[in-house]
Amino acid sequence: MTDEPTIDASTPVTGQSRMDAAWGSESSDQAAIAQPVAQTGQVFEQIYVPWQGTLNPRWMRNWAIFRHHVLGIVRKGHRPWGVPTKLVLIFVLIASMTDVALTLLFAVIGEPGLYELWGVGRNNLYGHILGFFPRNMLFYPLVAALLVGGVISEDRSNGTSALYFSRPINRFDYVGMKYLAVATIQSFIIIGTLFLYYFVDVLAMGRGWAWILDTFPLFLTTVFCALLLIITYTSIGLALSSVSRGKFFPGIALLAVLLGTKTLAAIVQGLFDRSILYLISPYDSVAHVGQALIGTNVVYDHPWIWSLASVVAINAIALYVLSVRVSSMEVTRE
Amino acid sequence: MIPDLAQEGRAQEQQWVPEPQAPVVMFNNVGKTYGRYQAIGGISLALSGGVTGILGLNGAGKSTLFKLLMGKLQPTQGEVRLFGTNPWKNPAPYARVGYVPENENMHDWMTAHEFVSTFARLHGLTRDEAKQEAERVLEFVGLTDVMHKKIGRYSKGMRQRAKIAHALVNDPDLIILDEPLQGCDPLARTTIMNVIRELGRMGRTVLLSSHILSEIERITEQIVILHQGKLLAIGNLHAIREQLDNIPHTIEIECSNAKSLAKDVLNLEVVHGLQFPSPTKLKIFTHHLGEFHKRLPKIIVDNEHDVMVINNPDDDLQSILGYLTGGFR
Repeated sequence: MTDEPTIDASTPVTGQSRMDAAWGSESSDQAAIAQPVAQTGQVFEQIYVPWQGTLNPRWMRNWAIFRHHVLGIVRKGHRPWGVPTKLVLIFVLIASMTDVALTLLFAVIGEPGLYELWGVGRNNLYGHILGFFPRNMLFYPLVAALLVGGVISEDRSNGTSALYFSRPINRFDYVGMKYLAVATIQSFIIIGTLFLYYFVDVLAMGRGWAWILDTFPLFLTTVFCALLLIITYTSIGLALSSVSRGKFFPGIALLAVLLGTKTLAAIVQGLFDRSILYLISPYDSVAHVGQALIGTNVVYDHPWIWSLASVVAINAIALYVLSVRVSSMEVTRE
Repeated sequence: MIPDLAQEGRAQEQQWVPEPQAPVVMFNNVGKTYGRYQAIGGISLALSGGVTGILGLNGAGKSTLFKLLMGKLQPTQGEVRLFGTNPWKNPAPYARVGYVPENENMHDWMTAHEFVSTFARLHGLTRDEAKQEAERVLEFVGLTDVMHKKIGRYSKGMRQRAKIAHALVNDPDLIILDEPLQGCDPLARTTIMNVIRELGRMGRTVLLSSHILSEIERITEQIVILHQGKLLAIGNLHAIREQLDNIPHTIEIECSNAKSLAKDVLNLEVVHGLQFPSPTKLKIFTHHLGEFHKRLPKIIVDNEHDVMVINNPDDDLQSILGYLTGGFR
């Protein structure tokens, strides 16, 4: 007498029975395993049921690529971001909210002098986005470096881009959605905390419409500068990711580009008292444009419009490299 | 030069309609050269419906053929058509194609269900549809019970089946499988073969490449043989075999008494000659391999021969290619 379930013609075909048999297999013992299965005549029978639906349009496919990357930050089953990346994102998110916390604190304890130091103002809005230390020396470049690291290069090295490009997805959508996903995560930290900073001030200090009307254009200008910063970092980062096969090089190279060019320009300025070389520094070019637009003290000698042209040129070069590399992905030995 | 990222933009048209009456796959005098090396030379063939095996040794041009079909290569000469559309950098027809690449790379951190539903969404399915369709195809390939396990923990055969499932999730009309049975254990092979057979039975066009004739033979009779980038033979396997029957096939039998067995098989008119490499080994030559194999079991059973091994040493692709190219032995 055995406890094993009997399988006859009326037994429904399930994946269970198939897998039991498959797991019990050994290459040297095929017949012994396959025989009892074959007697039932249905264990290995595959019944294909065609799909009756219709394929949805382009935006649905693009949304799938976008959410695959963004949701990977918080949920399993999507693009896996490393634990260090997640920890740094959390740390930078919290650290970016120090001005929010201090504004709230001084508003609550009613200390106007200290509030003036941390509350919403021209210099503080600029500082939230474009202040060099610590935000643009440590926080934002590091976040960008960790995010762009393997976004394209890992698809290239793993060969998973072949799986993408066997779908009805063109390369513009593929790279566009990846770009948008990386930029969105950065925006959540940089612009999200800026929004929080501004609206905490409005709520905590009980600001009226007059104050809001007065400061809102400044706030929008700061948002524009933040977008400029995010776009520039993302363009350079993804361009570096597209020319690489690992995630280490793009991250390190992005930090080297951002901080190296600034260091070089700072040395030249120290030696020759000329700020022109800051045009090669992506951060300084954006910062210069930001200073001019937000209206804080401009620390560069050359006209800000040159910096704007530099930002445009840096982005154009980065996007060109990115597009060339992505358009040749999986296209072999032409 | 401005890179062509949009790739003509036709990809995104949901209304893309294949050319009516066009064969699913068509190669018209297609050639592909890499510098001075000719990978494919003037191949013309059209395929629609059923399972077709693409056979060839390494370097025969099988993968090049698939890459041309998947728009990863531009032909140097001739034209490639997928549902009547040029697939070069035009992903529109891929809405109706399921492609299983040869390489091993998958999203190992995902479960099979997540993997398949993720790629279902890349075809534009909604979240619920994607989940439902993922379950449908995973059931079809027999991975239902392990679909929530990470792919990284799968065996080679299970990975291969997950890859096939991800290619079927859009219910494609054309399924391209590049070496789908490579490295699979025998039972995984059986399951995959059944999957392929069933798809062919459903009227889908299935193209699969292999360099092992016996594998293809179990799935389909329709074969295309490539050799050094040239189309060597196309059509029904038996028809091709028929032509090869001018040259005797060899069957090696290992048994306890080779001479006794030889006496019995010699009565068969299909036997062309015999050899005795050792007292327990018998080498039989025949022009009609199928007919001989049909009769052999009865002889063994009726005369109670103790047979350990039956082998067809020249019944492989290498030998057939040798015969076809006239350079064998």
